[in-house]
Amino acid sequence: MRADYVNLVNTHTVPVRFMYHSPETLEEALRLMREYGGEARVMAGGTDLIVDMKLRRKEPKHIVSLNKIRGIEYIVEEDGGVRIGANTKLRSIEKNSIVRERFEALYEAVRSIASVQVRNMGTLVGNICNASPAADSAPPLLVYDAVVKARSIDGERKIKIRDFFKGPGKTCLKDDEIVTEVFIPYPPGDSASTFFKISRVSMDLAKVNIAILVKLSSNVVEDFRIALGAVAPTPLRIPKAEEYLRHKPLNEENLNIVEKIVSEEIKPITDVRSTEWYRREVSKILVRDALNSTIKKLVRT
Amino acid sequence: MSFYAIGKRTARKDSVAKVTGWEKYASDIYLPNMLHARVLKSPFPHAIVKKIDTSRAEEMGAIVVTFKDVPDKLFCPRLVSTPDATYKDWKVLTDKPKFVGEPIAAVAAETEELAQIALESINVEYELLEPVFDALESMKEGKPRIHDKIMLNDKIIDIENNVACRLELQEGDLEEAFKRSDIIIEREFRTSRGYHNQLEPKVAVVNPEPDGGLTIWCTTQTIHNTRLLISEIFNIPVSKINVKKLALGGGFGSSIQTNIVVPIAVALALKARRPVRLAYTKEEDMHEHSSYQMIFRLKIGVTRDGKLTGGFMENIMDIGAHQIQAYPLLGTCAGWWVSLYKLQAIKYVGVAIYTNKIPSCAYRGYGNPQVTWAVETIMDELAEMLGMDPIEFRLKNYVGERDLFWGQGPTVKSIIKSCGVEEILKKGSELIGWKNRPKPGEQKGRFRRGIGMARGYHTSSAGAPIPSQVIDYSGAILKVNEDGTVDYITGLVDQGGGTLEAHAKIIAEELGLPLKNVNIVAADSQTTIYDVCTHASRGVYAGGGAALNVARQVKEKIFKLASTILNAYPHTLRIRPDEERGQAVIYVEGLPGKEITLGELATLARIKNLGTIAAVDSFRPPACPPHFTGYFVEVLVDTETGIVKPLKVVIGADVGTVINPDLAEGQLHGGFIMGWSRAILEDLKYNEEIGDIECRGFIIDYKMPTAADIPEEIKTFFVETYEPTGPFGAKGLGEGAQNPAIAAISNAIYNATGVRFYELPITPEKLLEKLKEKEGRKLAVEDAVKLT
Repeated sequence: MRADYVNLVNTHTVPVRFMYHSPETLEEALRLMREYGGEARVMAGGTDLIVDMKLRRKEPKHIVSLNKIRGIEYIVEEDGGVRIGANTKLRSIEKNSIVRERFEALYEAVRSIASVQVRNMGTLVGNICNASPAADSAPPLLVYDAVVKARSIDGERKIKIRDFFKGPGKTCLKDDEIVTEVFIPYPPGDSASTFFKISRVSMDLAKVNIAILVKLSSNVVEDFRIALGAVAPTPLRIPKAEEYLRHKPLNEENLNIVEKIVSEEIKPITDVRSTEWYRREVSKILVRDALNSTIKKLVRT
Repeated sequence: MSFYAIGKRTARKDSVAKVTGWEKYASDIYLPNMLHARVLKSPFPHAIVKKIDTSRAEEMGAIVVTFKDVPDKLFCPRLVSTPDATYKDWKVLTDKPKFVGEPIAAVAAETEELAQIALESINVEYELLEPVFDALESMKEGKPRIHDKIMLNDKIIDIENNVACRLELQEGDLEEAFKRSDIIIEREFRTSRGYHNQLEPKVAVVNPEPDGGLTIWCTTQTIHNTRLLISEIFNIPVSKINVKKLALGGGFGSSIQTNIVVPIAVALALKARRPVRLAYTKEEDMHEHSSYQMIFRLKIGVTRDGKLTGGFMENIMDIGAHQIQAYPLLGTCAGWWVSLYKLQAIKYVGVAIYTNKIPSCAYRGYGNPQVTWAVETIMDELAEMLGMDPIEFRLKNYVGERDLFWGQGPTVKSIIKSCGVEEILKKGSELIGWKNRPKPGEQKGRFRRGIGMARGYHTSSAGAPIPSQVIDYSGAILKVNEDGTVDYITGLVDQGGGTLEAHAKIIAEELGLPLKNVNIVAADSQTTIYDVCTHASRGVYAGGGAALNVARQVKEKIFKLASTILNAYPHTLRIRPDEERGQAVIYVEGLPGKEITLGELATLARIKNLGTIAAVDSFRPPACPPHFTGYFVEVLVDTETGIVKPLKVVIGADVGTVINPDLAEGQLHGGFIMGWSRAILEDLKYNEEIGDIECRGFIIDYKMPTAADIPEEIKTFFVETYEPTGPFGAKGLGEGAQNPAIAAISNAIYNATGVRFYELPITPEKLLEKLKEKEGRKLAVEDAVKLT
């Protein structure tokens, strides 16, 4: 193995030649994607793509920027949920009162992404399309059963977020598709949700991240959803744990079993950020902490 | 003592330029007709270049230099030591790369993009050699030789078993000392390698001059040594090389040596006969320098009544692929050890080992944070074994006033004349609540608090009463202008810490000048006299000493001149600042009206052809006084995740007279944060499969704390002492500000958990593993959430 990157990476410049397209309509963008498909990359905020190009991880021949397209920057309530457009900045989501009040886990996750400067540029849609296993917005979207709307010249397709991620950097999108929106249905009434993450420093990618959603009926769990990131090739829901806890009382014994299921269902690896062993260990305590925090929210309301 | 300028909180002279972006750093220098350079680096940790084809790059119009185009001469990039203590094993470009990232060739083109394309067109054939990444492995028989022959001064020496250099010291009868000890403790410690992460990556801009000379703008902590080295490598007369002094975006020791970008840019500029700019990216910068990894074996004896007897220390240093200052560092590590606590007998074995890693260089503290971590860990352990309070135990044994101090290894020593250790420990322990700290390892529950302390010091300069193996002097020029201001011209580089601001206050104090009347003017190696380097916490003490020295001479000349104009004896004259007039006023005490402003005096001197009031002189600091610090840290350990958070930090310091209170506090805050990072986070781990650092130079995977990670409360205080050899009683601070931090943090973690660490950094992964080992699988049920 040779470290050729020491000569290829040049972060002063974007050391790759490419065509930059800046269409003003979605139709034009879709036409460009049909034309260049596999050789093109869609860019919204550019906070992942430009870095990847500087590091020579991606060398697209064409960039199709969404920046000049009007009408895809919004957060609106509709059809029992909220719609977030492809150009909507992470910072706008973090500042939105509907998100803050009804989608606590998403709010907490977005706030934990990088710095204010990056959130002023980056988008939610970009965050999921980049398909990092550690994407902070992914676990909340998973527990809310979000729906991704993708368009191509042939029309629109709705993709369940659970089916969206296919591997590190891989989604189920076709070469000519652009994600135009994420739809997030309201969580069930009287439920609460929480996002937690463990990282090396405050401003960092996750070693492990987690989102959970709980609805209680007296002491019995009526709805329980759990998703973790950075512990498998994609962010993932843990249906086994969810099924186990549903219709059961929340007690120490059940909690121990849920922790155990989670630690068995995840497939963490050792990388530059942490070790497999550590990720498995702290996943358990994150389940516990996230549940604790969510119950506190339920008790408050 | 009451001062007029010293000790006052004032805005820095360079603050507006810095916060508005007007300040000029080396990377801001753009010259007409300038070429942009890129460096071809080895993708292998150990190899021989069999063939290199640069024809395509040249066809593109790029200027290319390879190892064939640079002087075939070994050099050492750091010129602080005397020649007899200088080991030389570097070449500007090499055909035998010894670490991933070592420069092999360089190109220059009209833009950086074109240079990048030209660089990628170069074809290199390598023969691969077996690399070695661990010092203990590297020194074993039969391991691949990283260097064969190197030079010590002007002699060729053979390298055996990858031992770069060694130093052994012995004083007193160690066997006897151990014999009368009641407890002998022996431990092995392993530090991490760190990256300086100074804000400004290394850069050089070189302009070839018509007379065959060069003008150089570069990142450096020493403009004079840079010009001496370029003269030595390229055989250009030293007087024809001019190195410009600029603002520097931090160094932490990484530009004591001349950074490799400088000779590479020189080689390109000489070939191109055009100005060349070579600016490293952050990724390249991380492949340019790192700190030393040290493996210590430390054995210390103590009697039952808490008196230390003697000690043995082995120090195996992983220095990476080249020597920058390995030999002097072996000496300073011994010095840091023996100057912490009194030992009647010592033995020290220091060995510096080559590995196929990024070359190591000085990093804030120059081995002292590492040594202090080991010694202060052992002091904590011994105090517990003896059943003594750790502070009382330290006070019983510390090296203090009237003791001999090793400021920079065995050849730089002086007697301590000012020492505030007792006061630091007393006040610090009160502020942290030392008496109420938990008993080690007795806490239960998930979250555990711990309080730890450590003390330390650092030298202020490498001055001494007699010559040594370390060059240490400064020089300054001071001249009075017709508007009553003075121009202060010095070759001393301000790394960003505000050293020159301190000099301005020293000059203002001595000359009775309003602070704004001291101009810190542009300077370069042609217009200044020699200054060794801004390192060894010497900027305020030695550099400030040089400033005071010329200010005194200027003052004498002012009085001499004023005595003729005012018709009074020189020794009856006084000088005071007059803020209203914005001038220094020279006056005769008790005789109102017999006075003249400095501006008027300088103007009269010009009209009457009496000359310019000015002085130029070198200054050798007569001592290497230690500045002392004490750290008290309270942490909170989450035993379920291994995450440690700092809750409260108290740092006391004895720096003699405090010249810039805000900046001095800033040094302590920064010292803690850097120490925190080195204690729990940073490590340039190697991935042996690629032969490179695991983070590959990407800062996203070399994390450091940000403002969000630091404790809410960092309490700092300065005890009152006066250093008789320092300018207005001042000593250094930059390194002592950090040195005991790691030790205090690891002692606090022990206090909270009962777990000791002998390897850095103490990551959550390692801590959690140790805790699980210690306490079994399931922890702290009583803390678990009660969900019903």
